Amino acid sequence: MYSIRNKLNLTIIASMILVLSIAAVFLYGRVAGQVEQIFDTALFDKAHSLISLTELDEEGLEFDFAEEGVMLEFQAGEAMQYYQLWERGVELLIKSPSLGDADLPLLGTDPGLHQFADLVLPDGRKGRLIEINFMPRIEVEDDEDDEDFGLETPPAQPITMVFARERESLDATLLAIGSTIFGVILAVLALAGLLTWWLVGSGLSPLSRLARQVSDIDESSLDARLTHEGKQSIEIAPIEDQLNHLLERLQSAFEREKRFSANVAHELRTPLSELKTLAEVAAMVPDDPEQLAQFFRDVGEISGQMEKIVITLLELARSEAGLLRSDPEDIELSRYCDEIWQHAINGQGSGKSLVKNIPEGLVISTDREKLGMILSNLFINAVSYSPDNAEIRIAAEVRYDNVVLEVKNASIDLKPEDIVHMKDRFWRKQLARDDSGHSGLGLTLVDALARIMKLDVDLQLDNQQTFMVTISGIQPSLH
Amino acid sequence: MKLLLVEDSERLQRSLTTGLQKNGFTVDQAFDGEEALAYIATNQYEAIVLDLMLPKVDGLSVLSRLRGNGNDTHVLILSANDQTEDRVRGLNLGADDYLVKPFSFDELVSRLRALNRRRSGEKNPVIEVGGVTIDTVARQVSFANTTIALTPHEYRLLEFLSHRRGRVYSHDQLIDQLYDASSYVTRNAVEAHISSLRKRLKKAGAPQLVKTRRGFGYLIE
Repeated sequence: MYSIRNKLNLTIIASMILVLSIAAVFLYGRVAGQVEQIFDTALFDKAHSLISLTELDEEGLEFDFAEEGVMLEFQAGEAMQYYQLWERGVELLIKSPSLGDADLPLLGTDPGLHQFADLVLPDGRKGRLIEINFMPRIEVEDDEDDEDFGLETPPAQPITMVFARERESLDATLLAIGSTIFGVILAVLALAGLLTWWLVGSGLSPLSRLARQVSDIDESSLDARLTHEGKQSIEIAPIEDQLNHLLERLQSAFEREKRFSANVAHELRTPLSELKTLAEVAAMVPDDPEQLAQFFRDVGEISGQMEKIVITLLELARSEAGLLRSDPEDIELSRYCDEIWQHAINGQGSGKSLVKNIPEGLVISTDREKLGMILSNLFINAVSYSPDNAEIRIAAEVRYDNVVLEVKNASIDLKPEDIVHMKDRFWRKQLARDDSGHSGLGLTLVDALARIMKLDVDLQLDNQQTFMVTISGIQPSLH
Repeated sequence: MKLLLVEDSERLQRSLTTGLQKNGFTVDQAFDGEEALAYIATNQYEAIVLDLMLPKVDGLSVLSRLRGNGNDTHVLILSANDQTEDRVRGLNLGADDYLVKPFSFDELVSRLRALNRRRSGEKNPVIEVGGVTIDTVARQVSFANTTIALTPHEYRLLEFLSHRRGRVYSHDQLIDQLYDASSYVTRNAVEAHISSLRKRLKKAGAPQLVKTRRGFGYLIE
């Protein structure tokens, strides 16, 4: 697990360091290049001024810059500069007094060209030199007297001049520029880092608030909903909505489970209470065989009722766990309905009869056992909750390659608003328990089994108080 | 002690009634709320054992109407609802006690007897009248450390009058209080039980506790 805030902060700050560092290096490179260029230009100009003071006449080469008192910077002392000139690159012509016995290095530059280089000056300072290879200027005399002496100007030879000066001032400037650039970048980075930290934190604060609200919710506070103050962000709003929907579903599931547990407890408590009282009271009447016989009959009934509840609950649990599978086989529907009716009602129909409207020979392909449980529950409910001598009607017809089955009976006291609750576990019209053995699980089981068999179960109550269960999606046999 | 047992389960009614009768209670049975209200309107009970989930009129509505009519009969709720809010609701509506199913039958009997003692102001389950000791738990009567054997009818008569000393009860009132609504008991039968009780007390050397107020009825002073 990682922190989005930390990751965002680190990523943004690292990116900024990278970008600003590149920018700083580039900026420094450009500025330093420009400064060095200015320095070198000054060096070049100074060298050319020396060249312009070099001329060749009939008396030979003259170096006006070397005259005493002309350029003091070439004298020995502080802030010295240096020059040295060679003819044809080998014969030393002249060098500045500031050099003393030392020599400037000769790089070897082609005629008409120049080059720069760093060096350590004779006084130990860092320096920079320019080496220029040039032809001396020839002085042209208009004075006729010279001709009279018959002197000829010797031919000009290429001269190499090296001019050098200290570069510590340049290095100091470059250091000041560099430290200013990198200092500013560091300060910007620090400020940007702080701003990033605050902005990311501020930007993610709705998420943090949401996380705090979610972590405050436990099973006892599922009715709480996530809220926000002020304007909601478009990124968080859908998350909050989805979480609230999830909470609603969770709350509903918890309440359903709580209700279910309470119902199970209630449904089992009453028969348990009956059994316990029967056992305790039976011990008080050991000599009353008639009472004892009745008590034993009661124990048998209660055990049967509890067994039915437990078996139904187990079937429901198995269906919900996906442990039940549909195993279709061919069933002759009309005959099977008779069989289930006889078995389910078992002579207890109180004068009620089954009226069938099923095409003779209609064979369906479905799970025999599960269809039997569905029909059995529907028949028992129809018999229990219909008026005396009522007819329980079952009809089947083929619609669009599917068989639709309808079970109808007149209802005693059902109301339209009851229909939506009838598939709920333990729902009964009368909340009070009776001794009929109905626990309110029959239609729940019918619905669960139908879903496994991929059938639809629809419940309806018409204006004439006729209750109808429609089962659709049954496959007719292909054989 | 005369009870109205309101319970929709026929089997529980049957076993509870048998057990309560064996413990000296007089029991009327109601199977739904409507029937219970009808019994309450026409009879006097010392306690009502009331289930909550009842057909027609539910138990809490029965209790509410009972208290609304100023009836202060002790009500013990007997219910499978075990949540605190269910108990609180029942007790707030005026129930005197609440017992959750499944329960111990002995506990039910003890709670009913405790309710009876609360009515008479007795805290001790052993009542002493004129040297005669009545143990309402063991349902035994003794005098001078000698047990006096009484029939259930005689015992009920003695315990009933002992709890209400100084109050005169006519034949009809005694029939109403000591016998269930379905029993056919005559004045002569009551007189016979009183006579028999007096004889047994006299035989044990105990003082004559049950007095006759001619024209009014019987009492223990």
